[in-house]
Amino acid sequence: MGKKTWGIRASIASAVLAASSCGVGLAWSTSAQAASSAAPKVKIAFLMPETTSSPRWEYDDRPDFIAEMKKLDPNAQIIYNNAQGSESTQLQQVESAITNGAQLLVVAPVNGYAASTIVTEASRAKVPVISYDRLIMNAKVQYYVSFNNVEVGRLQGEYIAQHTKKGGTVVMLDGAPTDPNAKQFAEGAHQVLDPLFKSGKLKLGYEQYTQNWDSATAQTEMEQALTKLNNKVNGVLAANDNLAGAAIQALTQQHIKGIPVTGQDATDAGLHRIYYDGTQSMTVYKPIKEEAKAAADLAYDILTGKKATGLVNGSTANGAAKIPSVLLTPIMVTKANVASTVIKDGYTTWAHIKNPAQQ
Amino acid sequence: MTANIGQAGNPRVPTVRERSLMSRLLGGEFQQLPVFLSLVLIWIVFEILNPQFITSRNLSNLVLQMAEYGLLAIGETLILLLGEIDLSIAAVSAVGGAILAELAANNVNPYVAILAGAASGAIIGLFQGFWVTILRVPSFIVTLAGSLGYLGLLFVLIGQEGTVPIMSNTINAIAGNYLPAWLSWLLVAISIALVIWSVWRDKAARRSMGLPVKSSSAMWVRVVASVIVMIVVTVVLNAYQGVPIAGLILIVFVAGFAWMSQSTTFGRHIYALGGNEEAARRAGINVKGVKIAVFTLAGLLAAVGGIVGASRLGAASTAAGGSDLLMDSIAAAVIGGTSLFGGRGSIWNALAGALVIGSIENGMALLDAGTSTKYLVEGAILLLAVTFDTFTRMRRQKLGK
Repeated sequence: MGKKTWGIRASIASAVLAASSCGVGLAWSTSAQAASSAAPKVKIAFLMPETTSSPRWEYDDRPDFIAEMKKLDPNAQIIYNNAQGSESTQLQQVESAITNGAQLLVVAPVNGYAASTIVTEASRAKVPVISYDRLIMNAKVQYYVSFNNVEVGRLQGEYIAQHTKKGGTVVMLDGAPTDPNAKQFAEGAHQVLDPLFKSGKLKLGYEQYTQNWDSATAQTEMEQALTKLNNKVNGVLAANDNLAGAAIQALTQQHIKGIPVTGQDATDAGLHRIYYDGTQSMTVYKPIKEEAKAAADLAYDILTGKKATGLVNGSTANGAAKIPSVLLTPIMVTKANVASTVIKDGYTTWAHIKNPAQQ
Repeated sequence: MTANIGQAGNPRVPTVRERSLMSRLLGGEFQQLPVFLSLVLIWIVFEILNPQFITSRNLSNLVLQMAEYGLLAIGETLILLLGEIDLSIAAVSAVGGAILAELAANNVNPYVAILAGAASGAIIGLFQGFWVTILRVPSFIVTLAGSLGYLGLLFVLIGQEGTVPIMSNTINAIAGNYLPAWLSWLLVAISIALVIWSVWRDKAARRSMGLPVKSSSAMWVRVVASVIVMIVVTVVLNAYQGVPIAGLILIVFVAGFAWMSQSTTFGRHIYALGGNEEAARRAGINVKGVKIAVFTLAGLLAAVGGIVGASRLGAASTAAGGSDLLMDSIAAAVIGGTSLFGGRGSIWNALAGALVIGSIENGMALLDAGTSTKYLVEGAILLLAVTFDTFTRMRRQKLGK
């Protein structure tokens, strides 16, 4: 028996040896190839989470990041994948990106709390990871690039605090419970509103996290909130424009007008509601181009061996370490400053805001 | 043949009556009973937890919230009756809504947009039916692959912004407006007349063919019960803003398809095919034709559901086919007692199943319950409801029904 296992072990060991020597050989030959060509090739995987909560991943982050990266290195190769909301798909995409020779991963995790395995897999292959927009929890990632999400929530909370009538009742729609960003938005909003709830200046009537940021679910929740509170709602803190749209649909059904409703993402539909309908009060605009640029700069610096400390402006604790972070400032957009923000930056056009259905 | 059955059937009638009421109920004499009892139980529990649950306003909410998957569940029930499955209905509904929204955004006449949206579903259904029956690929695969493809199509249709708002008042009225009270009562009167007429005709037809006639007391119980339900529902909804147009659409489709499945040759062919496809084929039923037609109808119903959903949200979005829509629709059909193996079930029960699912979601949202509680309770109730149905079905089989 003992002999037998030894025999098996020996054969496994030799197989592993053979495989690893093979690997060494491969690695050697590729590096030789790289040395022979003019410059080392930059190969980065840009891995996005989903397409349902916001179209930004597909239509803003991806082209912006690729454009910024090509500016830094015209020969850079970028592997793009979208996990379509599935954690396991994302892990698969990470594995195949590493197999395909990605030297660095920029990852917006599907589930920030379950993404530490991504970092484990990457670090095993000595591939650094930048946590993009959403924080990867409990793992040592290289950098974290995002908007200051707590600040987003604070902007929304402050708007509600200033524009809701005294003693009024507030409904909060916080977004997906699996999205760490949603938790941070809510955290920021609560920082501002909790003292007011405590002192009785405002009342918290209803608060829900909406699975998958799903608008239809949010609409049901808003209808039920209105039923529960007998329509006594004086302000709605919706975490993003899609939720705001659903909430406004429910409010319109009850002929409730003129109460503050917040949003985020500066979608054309949201801006239309702000500028033309007056049903939504504000949105939070996050210049995604800046975020993509920061991520591209950091990635390039890491791969070319430079220190990227110039960009870093803070650190974020994620349970494993304090992650050096680039935290960009979100901008509040109301009817008054549509022109000087989203239009001026070329983020959208008046034609799109006027008719959001036009493409 | 009919004469023989008639002779053999008549003497048996009294034995049915001798059974105690309890065993008849548990034995599933009334197919709707198990799901109906679960529904009553759910309503009582939610009413105790929050007295706003059974109010005309909340019941009006419920009607609007369940309209979309109620419509999808009708189509899914038809498919399940065949012994097939359709996993694409949620995606098809999203495509129907997207086509509607895109056309409306490009200033197409809203009625044309609605027709085009509905037609898109029928075309997709026809395509799937063809693939399943002619190319003989299992419906599970065809519709699963299809649903992925349609989601891709959805992204093409909706494009960059991820959401296409609907500005047309006509379209938004589908889920946003209510019938005036007089019209709702007129419709109730017409429906009552239709129910009585159909019962009477059914009886006459059975008598003329020498078939055993159902006991008239049981029949009248049915008629009276349905009249009472119609009147109560209308009173309750009119006490708020009226009968929602989306609710009317749902009930018209349910009633229409229930009638089709029970009282037309085509409907009986569906049951026959689901019960035993080979036997149906040998009996001369056009198996392929029936199957393709049912898939087409399911696609149509999914798109109609999608149109109602888009109207409710005031927008079509790339997220529309996702979330729980597919599972809710299949669950509604199955909770209603429709067998996953074909040949058994009814459209009315799909409506009851949709009511169960809708009530749970509505009630949990009204309680402002946390996500974890919501899922735990929803899972438990679904399991219990179906277990109850299985139990009564076993009784039924023991009784030889």
